Amino acid sequence: MKITFLRYSIRQAMANIFNNRLVHLIGVGTMAIAFLIFDAFILSFVNLSYWTEERGRLLSMSVYFKEEPDRIVLEDVQRELLGFPGVTIKRFISKDDAMEDLRRQLGDEAGLLDGLKENPLPASLEITFSRDKGGDSIPHQLKRRLERIDIVDEVQYSQEWIERFQAIMEALKIVGIVVGGLLFLAALFIITNTIKLTIYSRKDEIEILKLVGATNRFVKIPFLIEGSIQGFLGGSLALILLFVAYMIVVARVDLRIGFASLDFVFLPTQYIALLLVMSSIAGLIGSTISLGRFFRI
Amino acid sequence: MIQLFHVYKTFGSKNSALIDVSLRVSKGEFVFITGPSGAGKTTLLKIIFCAEKATSGQALVDGRNLNRISERELALLRRRIGVVFQDFKLLPRRTVFENVALALEIAGLPLSLIRKKVHQTLRYLGLANKEGYYPPQLSGGEQQRVALARAIINNPLILLADEPTGNLDPDLTMEIMALLREIHVKGTTVVVATHSQELLRDTRRRIVSLSKGRIV
Repeated sequence: MKITFLRYSIRQAMANIFNNRLVHLIGVGTMAIAFLIFDAFILSFVNLSYWTEERGRLLSMSVYFKEEPDRIVLEDVQRELLGFPGVTIKRFISKDDAMEDLRRQLGDEAGLLDGLKENPLPASLEITFSRDKGGDSIPHQLKRRLERIDIVDEVQYSQEWIERFQAIMEALKIVGIVVGGLLFLAALFIITNTIKLTIYSRKDEIEILKLVGATNRFVKIPFLIEGSIQGFLGGSLALILLFVAYMIVVARVDLRIGFASLDFVFLPTQYIALLLVMSSIAGLIGSTISLGRFFRI
Repeated sequence: MIQLFHVYKTFGSKNSALIDVSLRVSKGEFVFITGPSGAGKTTLLKIIFCAEKATSGQALVDGRNLNRISERELALLRRRIGVVFQDFKLLPRRTVFENVALALEIAGLPLSLIRKKVHQTLRYLGLANKEGYYPPQLSGGEQQRVALARAIINNPLILLADEPTGNLDPDLTMEIMALLREIHVKGTTVVVATHSQELLRDTRRRIVSLSKGRIV
């Protein structure tokens, strides 16, 4: 493509946007709404993935003792535990603490425990470890190592949770691709029709250009550039609106699951860049489809 | 330069705009196509610059068969045919300069050359002070001259003019006709469609008369 032609096309696209600013403004607004729905879905998906990832990252483990360990034994076990990367000791629960916890959980039914002659609940250590620091084999190794210690009766951790977490992530990915794809198609449909209106309002111009000897390429390229710019502007506006909505939600909503407060995250920079590229491409595709009907003759 | 062989043009199933039209216009000729409104003059011009395709028959322009012309060849051919449309077909949102420059931009000329040629042509047609105006700001006669400027700026082989004096007063009519004659003298083949008998009264040019789509 010649530089002069490219310069002409860009200049023409900018002039067209300026000369038809009201039509373009409406177009950009409509596109922004279409993209906003898509972007909001992506943001929800990102946050859902983030929360799931966060929950799955920290694995809790309980180390049950055969009898109440004395301070020295406990320190030995703790030392052993801290030898593993990513392990954090949350708390030691003595037999009495365990009973107290149970009483609290039973509430009004706590009287049932009064009949017990001795406390059957084991003392335990609650630990968490971060899965970032090691692979999935670490909890298994840790369990084996701890169970070799005499005083340790049993080590429990939720292997199922890891498996469930992985399944959730896989399902989320599939749902994300399907729903995201459908929303993108819907946005594309809206964009194509919006651009069609812009082009239709200038069908005389297309006719004149062709009658004075313009090739299809000469007529189309400024429109395609225009569509891409329109898409980019619509995409940018959608992201600005989404960010404003995000800031409002973050300031007003305190989302809690249990005791854990869930943090909201905005779209990472790569996602923002990708969404802007996708918006421009959607504008380009929309223009290509819309232009098609004007060039059949 | 222009050859039509048994050309028919039908719109819909019944409306015949051209019936068995055969015509030959040689290089450098000046021809009037005349006839009342609805005789088929505009359709005939449209066939020549391929805005319409003949329903049957053959049309050749500058040796190219218009029935078998590719999109790119057609664009290139149209750059060698200047057309002055009855309704001017100027772009209302582009200035006079931009409207006239269009034909050269399409041909891919460098900007400096475009500027020079547009200035020259507009000066030649008495529009030098109207460069920055938009078509709706101009009178009918001025718009007609802008359309003429756009048609001749590429030094076309053929100039087609559809009722070029249709909306003009007698003085402007003479002026436009004088310009067409000048362009013809420079070697361009000129075909003018008109229903004005006034225009044809004293001419020694060839006149092709159409009536109800037939040459009479």
